[in-house]
This record gives sequence, structure tokens and C-alpha cells, in this order.
Amino acid sequence: MDMDYKNVSKNTLVGVIGAGSFGTAVANLLAENRRVLLYSRSIDKVNDINKNKVSAGQQIHHHIIATNDIEDFCQQCYLIFPSVPSSNFRSMLQDFAPFLRPDHILVHTTKGLDVNLNTTENIFDKALTFEPSEIQTMSQLIVQETNVKRIGCMSGPNLAKELAKMEPAATVIASKFDEVIKEATLAIRSPRFQVYASHDIFGVELAGVLKNTMAIASGALSGMGYGQNALAFLLSRGVREMIKLGTALGADKSAFLGIAGIGDLFATANSPLSRNYTVGYRIAQGESLEYIISTSSEIAEGLRTVNICNHIANKLNLDLPIIKTTYSVLFEEMEPSEALTYLMSYKNSMDVDYI
Amino acid sequence: MLEPVISNIKDWPIAKLARHQDEIIEDVSEESNKHLQQISQHTGGIRDLIAKALYLERIRIKNEPWDVDPEDENEFWSNIKKKLSSYDPSLATKEEASKIENSLLQLIIKRYAEEIIGSFDPKLYWFAQQTLPLFFGRLLSASNGGIKSIFKSKVLLKDKMFITGPVEKIRNLATKGTLILVPTHFSNLDSIMIGYAMDMIGLPAFQYGAGLNLFNSRIFGYFMGNLGAYKLDRRKKNTIYIETLKAYSRMNVYKGAHTIFFPGGTRSRSGALEKELKLGLVGTVMEAQRMHFENNPVGEAPKIFIIPLTVSYHFILEASSLISEHLKRTGKEQFLLSDDPFGSFKSIFKFFWELFGSSSDITLSFSEPMDVFGNQLDDDGNSIDKFDQPIDIRKYFLTNGVLTKDAQRDQVYTKLLGDIILEKFMTGNTVYSSHMVAFVAFEILKKRYNDSDIFSILRIPEEDREISWDDFVFACNRVRDELYALNNQNKLKLAPHMTLEMEDIIEHGIRNVSMYHGLRPIYKTKEGNISSEDLKLLFFYHNRLDGYGLQKCI
Repeated sequence: MDMDYKNVSKNTLVGVIGAGSFGTAVANLLAENRRVLLYSRSIDKVNDINKNKVSAGQQIHHHIIATNDIEDFCQQCYLIFPSVPSSNFRSMLQDFAPFLRPDHILVHTTKGLDVNLNTTENIFDKALTFEPSEIQTMSQLIVQETNVKRIGCMSGPNLAKELAKMEPAATVIASKFDEVIKEATLAIRSPRFQVYASHDIFGVELAGVLKNTMAIASGALSGMGYGQNALAFLLSRGVREMIKLGTALGADKSAFLGIAGIGDLFATANSPLSRNYTVGYRIAQGESLEYIISTSSEIAEGLRTVNICNHIANKLNLDLPIIKTTYSVLFEEMEPSEALTYLMSYKNSMDVDYI
Repeated sequence: MLEPVISNIKDWPIAKLARHQDEIIEDVSEESNKHLQQISQHTGGIRDLIAKALYLERIRIKNEPWDVDPEDENEFWSNIKKKLSSYDPSLATKEEASKIENSLLQLIIKRYAEEIIGSFDPKLYWFAQQTLPLFFGRLLSASNGGIKSIFKSKVLLKDKMFITGPVEKIRNLATKGTLILVPTHFSNLDSIMIGYAMDMIGLPAFQYGAGLNLFNSRIFGYFMGNLGAYKLDRRKKNTIYIETLKAYSRMNVYKGAHTIFFPGGTRSRSGALEKELKLGLVGTVMEAQRMHFENNPVGEAPKIFIIPLTVSYHFILEASSLISEHLKRTGKEQFLLSDDPFGSFKSIFKFFWELFGSSSDITLSFSEPMDVFGNQLDDDGNSIDKFDQPIDIRKYFLTNGVLTKDAQRDQVYTKLLGDIILEKFMTGNTVYSSHMVAFVAFEILKKRYNDSDIFSILRIPEEDREISWDDFVFACNRVRDELYALNNQNKLKLAPHMTLEMEDIIEHGIRNVSMYHGLRPIYKTKEGNISSEDLKLLFFYHNRLDGYGLQKCI
């Protein structure tokens, strides 16, 4: 898939839904090749972005215009990158659905899962119960809530703050459609942003989602003051848990070994720039979860994901000690040190039993 | 019987097309050639395509000759070989080589196209329409009232066939676009039954692909070949043949021939509803729809409508050989029959005899028609999305506002359509008493032997197969409750006899599934318990209810 990313029309508009830190970073990447419409549901934010040329703390490229008009946004952009948290993804789609047409291409960047709940139900409610089959990835949500069929996802070690500093990075664009991969790649690939392709969208989505659980756990390890031996131990066993859980949900293993799996795991598990890592770190430093959430600008996807993964692990009776103890630390007031002792004394088994 | 949608047979799409056979062969050749040229660009070139076809064809001719094969086959392919070796590809100029290669390619394509093409003879159709019901009627009366009553026609085939689903809507759509019927496939009799049913509801004849092996019988071949069947040869696996077959299918669908595709490819060997589809030929439907939009850039383009159909029988003519083949395949034995015999005249006769002479029947359950993207349709064939809003499916073929041709995209769309068809097979499935008793009996045995692998269960000796009547009834009740629940959720359909008293349902099921087979898949012992003389057959009929999660009721 060799193409010249410089030689494209800058007149084609590309859309980004969500002006959070990652949505803004994506918009800036796209703006190097195309003109970009950046949608935010807050009119104040839109006005602010257009006036000050700053979004989520990042300078924005002059090719970007912020908008609040869903209908006009959908009319103008055939290629759209939704970049909103999984907790708002479904309601966002419901707002957009009346204006999305069969010729739209949607490539989302959200590393989270959805469980279809009633409005009165809360994903963090411990009494809540659901079947693994009720869990959906964002691309499955798009299928369910819209008429769009050409769907892709972009996932990889792409920390928003590093992208904002124009540092080089790579990503995976996954879709069953070659056309989607091609269109999205043409729009976003640049000398500082390398793109790899995959047809396994489900695997790539899950890899990006599940690595967030390990990012929280590794943050906690660092917060407890441990070094590289402990981290490497956690990550290599963590890959095993990601693959075990992923295959139990029906995914292939290979995506977990690529950029969106191990690649992303390396980045987030080592970086204070990751929200998920930071949550784990602060917990280990003795802060309460409520306090952390109340002082964060955006809620870490990993919290929802750990919750959902723990639920699936119990339902399917999967042996996933790291995910389970991470859950206990976050939601059941287990001390991080206690969690570590538990893991260190956990029955040992074969090293690589997942390939 | 319903009034024909188009009264004059000569005006049927299939009859119109049959009057222009030369033109079709020409179009198909051109279309196939176009595709093969494209394919050759990213494979080893035309010469390579021909060489591979030659190689495979010579093996086929030697190892799998059929009666229906033309006599000059050897000669034809020897000639191709001679011409192919008449020049040295490394020495000849590009023009010289390409001239020879292209002429050879044309020759092969034309030969294939002429073999594949089906015909339609309105007079023969009219003849069959008049005489077959009469023949069946006689047979029917005889099996009911003894051989002497052969001339007293009372029961008719149509009384043995139940057609459910939106028949009026389908009739309506028959003049508004091209109908593509995608049925489940359990028996070679399917096409006859479906053909008859379509005639009953007044639809014009459909074309369909029939295995070339069925043409080994001359008389049968004559009827099929002139009543809309085109020929497909599963032995020929070379790219030139496959592309010519696809081009034929694509051109005919594009030109408006109502077509039957068995998307499972072949008959279900296991007795289960299709779990996976062979989408090669179905894919030509997606391409034909795209071509309509391409060639009608403004205004309305002709549309193609997909109608899934689930056929339910109590017993299946070829059950025994199908399940044996399934077991041999799953047992990883090297055993593949491509020449599966249709069944002797005697076995077909016995099938109808039992069908007519008993309480047995056949149900054809049509699903709601849809467009090639699975959207529902209004009475005029306009697509309506899941939010009950009109949807313009042309836009699925646009990139940045421009209609683009993308074979890979068509394939993914076809795969998505296939998933929807599989779902409709499950929800359209009409459950019979026979399916239920076979399912329950087999599952009880499976549970008794701790879910051991299928081959050990099939080896249970006959004296250990007995199931007590009370246990059996208990399990049947639980399964039926679940079937009712699934029916309420529109996840399957139930035959009217499923509302009888449980004992009657069981009697009905056992009688119907066992009457046709020499060794009874399920029967009631003298002591009043349940047993089986043929576990393979029991397994086969049991599989029909696979995939609904009913195991939990046992």
C-alpha cells in the first residue's frame, strides 16, 4: 500500500468528532494533509477554539475549523474520525445517525468497550450483571446505531501529548475494507506518522482496549517505587492476560503482538503521560479513586475496561490474576502491596501458554 | 394456486433471455475475458492461467470422466497444449505471444460458456406444468388408496406443500426488479420442490445452477437444461472456468433473470442449517447491483431483491449418504465424492410415495425480501433502513461522492450479506415434530455418555440405546417450551402440528422421520421406550436444531 501522502487534494474536508486531547491530536495530524472540521458538542468550546486556535491545551493547525453543527459537519465530510470516550460513544452516534449516510467512512480512535445499559444502570455498580455477548466494541456500536458499513479503527502507541510535540509515531489502521484503510491512510500518514494496515479490526480494537488494564497496573507498580524488573514481569504476564481474554471474546491472537497490542503496551506502561498509567500511579501513592476522578480533566478509559474485564473473567471463569487484582485495588479497597503479595504468591505455571 | 404474475410464459425474463443465447455467450465471453485480463496482471500472466487450466483439465479428464463430458475433450486440450508450446515465451516478441495467448483464452472461455449456458423452452415448461401435477396426483392417490386408485386423483402435491411468508409482496416485487432466491439446501429434490412452489404462487420461472453430474442422466438433463438450469461443474477448479461461470451468473442477474442461488454451495452434509456460505456466485449479485448504479448514474437504477428461503422436510431422500459423507469428512478420511449419485428412480419414487401416502408435508418458509445490503423493502421495492427511513443504497458504492469500482469492497459487502442470510435461515426455519424427537433422543444419548466425541456415540451398541419413555417425554416438554419461547422472540417458526398434545407430537415425529428409511433413526420399542436402529441418521436429523442453544434443556 504505497502511496504518496503529499500529493492529495487539500480541499477535501475530513472530520474529527470530539475535541478532547486525542481528538485534537488526530485533527492536527490530518491537518497536515487535509482541511479538517473538528466537532465539539459544546458551543463555547467551539467558539474558543476558533478564536484562540487552541484545543485541549494544544495549538491547532490553521487547516482546522471547529464546529458545532452536526448536519453541516456530516454533509461536508465523507471521512470521519470519531474520537470520543466509550462512555459517550453510543449517545454521540445517536446524535449523528440521522445525518450519517451510506457513503460515510468512519474510523474511530476510541480504546474502550460498551455495555448496553439502561439509563438508570451504572457500569461501576457492583451488583450489575451482564453477559459477555452484551459487550461491544466501538465498531460494533457503529454498525448497530448507524447505516455506515465502511468502518475502521486507528490504534497504537499514540500518546496525545507526544503527538502534540510533533514527535514521530506509528499506528495501525484496521478495517475489513481496503478502501477504508487506503482513504484513512492517505489522510493521516505523514513524515512524522507512519501507518500500518490490518484487516482484523476486532483484534486491533481489543488489543488497544485491553492494554489499558495493564497500563493502570504498571502505573501502580511505579507508584509503589518498583523498577524495571517488576515492570517487565508485569508486562510479559500482562500480554498473556490480554491474549487469554481477547481469544475468549473471539479475537485472533496476532493483533495483540503488533503495534496496537505490545506496541501500545510499551508506550502506556512506561509513561506518566498516559491517563491510565497516572490513575494507577496515584492510587499506589495513596490517593482515593474518587479524588483522582474529581481532579482529572478526562476520565481514564481503563477504569471502565478493568471493570468490564473483571466481569467477563468471572463469568467465563478465566484465570487472569493481574486484571482481577487490579480490579480489587481500584474498586474493592485492596492495598497495592497486598495485591503484589498476592501476585507474587500466585500459583506459578508454564511461561508461554497462550500461543 | 395463484394467478401468474406475468400471464404469457414467453414474456418471462428467463424466456426473453433464452431467445438471445448467442448474444449472451458473446457478452459472457467479453466480461470473463475482461476480468481474466485484470487477474493476469497481478498473477503470472495469461500464459500461466492457460497452463494451469490445461494441467488441471488433463488430470480431471484422466481421473474423473463423466458420461456427460463431450467426446472431443482430449482433442481440445491437446490442441491447446500444442499451440501453447508452439512458441518459446522467452524468445517470442510480446505481440506474438500475446496474440496466441489471447486467442487460446478466447477459445477456452467460449467452450466453457457454451457448456454452462442454460436454456428455457416455454412449450416444455407449459407441458411440464400441465403434466407433472397430474403425474404426482396419480402417484399420490395410489399411495393413499392402493395401486388401483391410481386413476382417481384426489390429493395433490400442492396439498402437501405449505408456503409461508410474504408471498403477495414477493409477487409484487417480481415485476419491479430481479429476484434472487437463496434457499437452504438439503436435497437434490429442493430445486424441483422450489420450482413447483414458485409456479404455485404464480412467479415466473427462475434460473438456477445445477451440478453437471445431474446431466449425466439424459432425460433429466434435457428437462433441466430447458427449464432454466445452467450447468456448474465442481470438478473444474481452474481460474478461467470459475471466472466464466461468474461472468455468466453476473450477466444474467444483471439482465434481469430471476435466479436461485444455493448459497451453501452444496447440500448440507450434516443435516444442520448452513453455518457458512460459499459466496462466490452470490458475490456476482453484489457486482450486478453495482453495475446497475454505474450504468444509470442519474435517476432510478434497476434493483435486485434477496429472498432467503428455508425448506423443511420430515425426511430427506439422501440423508443416509449425506451423513456418511459428513462423518468421513470430519473424520479426516481422504474421501471425497464429486459424483454424488442423485438417487435411483426407485428411491425418488419411494420418497414421493411416502410423502403422499402419509401425514408428511414440506414447508417452504420465505423470509421478508431485502436489498443486497439487508435493508427491508416497501411494496415498490424501495429500501427502508432500520430506523424506518428511506435509504439510498447507491451511496454504498461511492467514494467521496464518486461511484467507484472496488472488487474487495464488493467482497466484504457480500460477506456481510451472507451473515444476514445465515441469520434468516435460522429465524425462517420451520421446526417439525421429527426434528424435535431426533434432537431430544440424540442429546439424551450424548449426555448419557458424558458428551464423548461424536464417533464414540455413533458406536453405542443397539441394546444400550434405549431411552425410557418418561425421560423422553420430560425432555421433549422442556425442549418444546424453549421452542415456544424462541418462536415468540421470532427466532424460529413452528409447524402447526407442534401445538398438538405432546404424546401426539412424539408419535407424529417418530412416524414421519422413520417411515422412509430402511433402518429407523428413531422408534418406539415394544416396551414403549425410545430407541434407534441408525444413530447416524438420528444424528443427521438432530442437527437441524443445532445452533439454538437447546442443549441446555436436556
